Amino acid sequence: MRARIRAQCVKELLQFRRDRLTLGLAFLLPLLSLLILGFAIRLETKHIPIVVQDLDRSHLSYAYSDRLFATDQFHPSRWRGTDPVQGALDQGTAKAAVIIPPDFSRRIKAGKPVTVQVLVDGTDANNARVIRNSIQATTRFFLLDQGLIEDAQPVRAITRLWFNPGRKESLYIVPGVYAVVLWIFPSLLAAIAMVREKEKQTILQVYASGISAGELLLGKGLAYLLVGGSMALVVMGLGSLIFRIGFAGDPTPLLVGTSLYLAAAVLFGLLLGVRSASQNAAVQGVSLIGFLSALLLSGFIYPVSNIPFPLSLVSAIVPARYFVVISRDAYVRGTGWPGVGFDVLVILLASLVLFEAARRSLGAMQLGNGDGP
Amino acid sequence: MRPLAAMRGWGRRLRASRFMALLRKEIQQILRDRQLLKLLIIPPTIQLLIYGFALNPDVHFLRLGIVDYAQVSSSRELVSALTENRVFLAVSHPRSEQDLARQVERGELTAGLVIPPDFRRRIAEGRPADVQVFIDGVDANSAGIANGYIQQMLRRFRPTGAGTAARPPPVTAAVSFLYNPGLRSSWFFVPGVMGLVLTLIASLVSAVALVREKDTGTLEQLLMTPASAWEILLAKILPLFVLLQGDVVLALLLGRTVFGLPFRGNLLLFLLLSGLYLFVGIGIGTLLATVCRSQQQVLLTAFFINVPMVQTSGAIAPIDSMPAFFQAVSLLNPLRHYIAIVRGMLLKGVGLEALWPHALALVVMAVALMAFSVSRFRSQLS
Repeated sequence: MRARIRAQCVKELLQFRRDRLTLGLAFLLPLLSLLILGFAIRLETKHIPIVVQDLDRSHLSYAYSDRLFATDQFHPSRWRGTDPVQGALDQGTAKAAVIIPPDFSRRIKAGKPVTVQVLVDGTDANNARVIRNSIQATTRFFLLDQGLIEDAQPVRAITRLWFNPGRKESLYIVPGVYAVVLWIFPSLLAAIAMVREKEKQTILQVYASGISAGELLLGKGLAYLLVGGSMALVVMGLGSLIFRIGFAGDPTPLLVGTSLYLAAAVLFGLLLGVRSASQNAAVQGVSLIGFLSALLLSGFIYPVSNIPFPLSLVSAIVPARYFVVISRDAYVRGTGWPGVGFDVLVILLASLVLFEAARRSLGAMQLGNGDGP
Repeated sequence: MRPLAAMRGWGRRLRASRFMALLRKEIQQILRDRQLLKLLIIPPTIQLLIYGFALNPDVHFLRLGIVDYAQVSSSRELVSALTENRVFLAVSHPRSEQDLARQVERGELTAGLVIPPDFRRRIAEGRPADVQVFIDGVDANSAGIANGYIQQMLRRFRPTGAGTAARPPPVTAAVSFLYNPGLRSSWFFVPGVMGLVLTLIASLVSAVALVREKDTGTLEQLLMTPASAWEILLAKILPLFVLLQGDVVLALLLGRTVFGLPFRGNLLLFLLLSGLYLFVGIGIGTLLATVCRSQQQVLLTAFFINVPMVQTSGAIAPIDSMPAFFQAVSLLNPLRHYIAIVRGMLLKGVGLEALWPHALALVVMAVALMAFSVSRFRSQLS
């Protein structure tokens, strides 16, 4: 039995090496995805373009707009002319407009309250809130600076951000990218390999050779697990170098978790390969189900707790969700086994279920073929 | 003169009928293809729903642990002030700071609050009381928002009996949100996903339709007929274009009914600009078809073009926050321009006066892609 598994594995690796397309799939494209996802996804906005329309042009109003200009969150420009500022928001050249009224300094000096109108583009709801908060905070700093209010805050917070004090977003994104990349590509490769045998009818020869469904899966699975392992080494190694992230604690949960995760990905691909009629269907299946689940239902971009009810059930069985936790723990949190033991276990369970499902489908197919003409 | 003019007219009619014949063949082929219809309806619907529901950046229900060493009414007021807005949910009350720290460390809590024993005394004496806040910074974005929220709450917080009630400040910033006053995040994501879904489906369907002829060898037969490359391509593209417009309407209807998106622009202009974008998508597909040899290659290549296209389009993460290099790259991304158009027309209700740069970019890209793929297509003949 072991010999048959090994033979199947060696054959698969030889075939893999001969095909340039799959080689590209295994190394070039994962790296490209790492770079694009790792660099292009930034959730926190900086340098938000805003316009300031100063209708007062007094010493005080300049002091106020200077305050806005001094934050690194905004990229402000003065709005000259008399056209309504909303034009800038309509065109999308600014995300917010601050309108300082003509009686700004007069009213302040007279001790009367004055309102600065702020128009915020609410299209991007998340950043709209951020913009509102920082403009309000800036207004407060201006008042403190000018001695118009005193700092009589009865309760102050001394905040400490744990694990990521500098709030480096790459620390959040890059370990998540590993989960996406190491799910999609190994499963795609495995699915293509499986379905290719079916399309070229070589699967009949395999059946005739007396190899069992389990052995066939183990042989092919082992081959792509090895491929996935080297992919993981390349992606994680270069990822750590490029984005300058290192292990925060015990790396063994990541080691075990990654192996199991790759096994689950390969088995998922093999299962889809067994179940789909053509390569197209397999590729579409992996890219639709695998990509959407790993990208959207894994907590890679936004917390999983935000996924609403029926979808949250689907997200609970997505292995990527658990690997994201393991990967972030290894690179950022560093609690090791006590923190992520459960997640490793879930991925182990997922690979066992996937193996059994693939074995049954393959077994049923073999029998079906035997009955046929 | 007469016979020549007659011949010209005859030739024109021939060409028209040849094109019509090709077109008829394509329409029949499509109508027979159940797979294609499924492809046009099911994946776009699933993608739109999953993206629309799963992408939710709202920071709420963060798990907060509280160690209250003071145990007085003012400290309880502080806790209820922090949790009233659903941003934080008080889930645990550990006995000591160490316990709290351990829970934050393991990720069981997202934030921790420690209220010191001298909380009441300091407030009574009019001295500021310092509370400690721990926030799990792994999710840098949420941590920043949570921190901002705590600071803002504390600036407003006045415990009863703390003396002076806060006077209204001399300057207030009155913020109004345009276009999306309820700040619904799906209004941001769904237009982005509409663009994304159309890109995927338009490029895939047209590429597969062309490559299939290559796979089955019928492309050579078509090319041997006197029909020109333009005629063959146009006959293929036109029926697909009509079907894909159906997808535009499908996406629009889903957005309205499921996510309650407004539509504030001109519908005709929207369909026109969407049609323009469909040509870009079809152009990408045709290009893929001329480069790739098999359907499998087309599907894989399409998949890999789509990943960077989606990521640099601003569909998920706003373009302003990308590094400068990616911002520059995104200008070449047709999806970015189309998403700007969709958001502009649906949410802002603007027309060409604001969107013309994006429309112009799409025209240029559509023409360039179509011209390039036709010339590649032609060079395959020889």
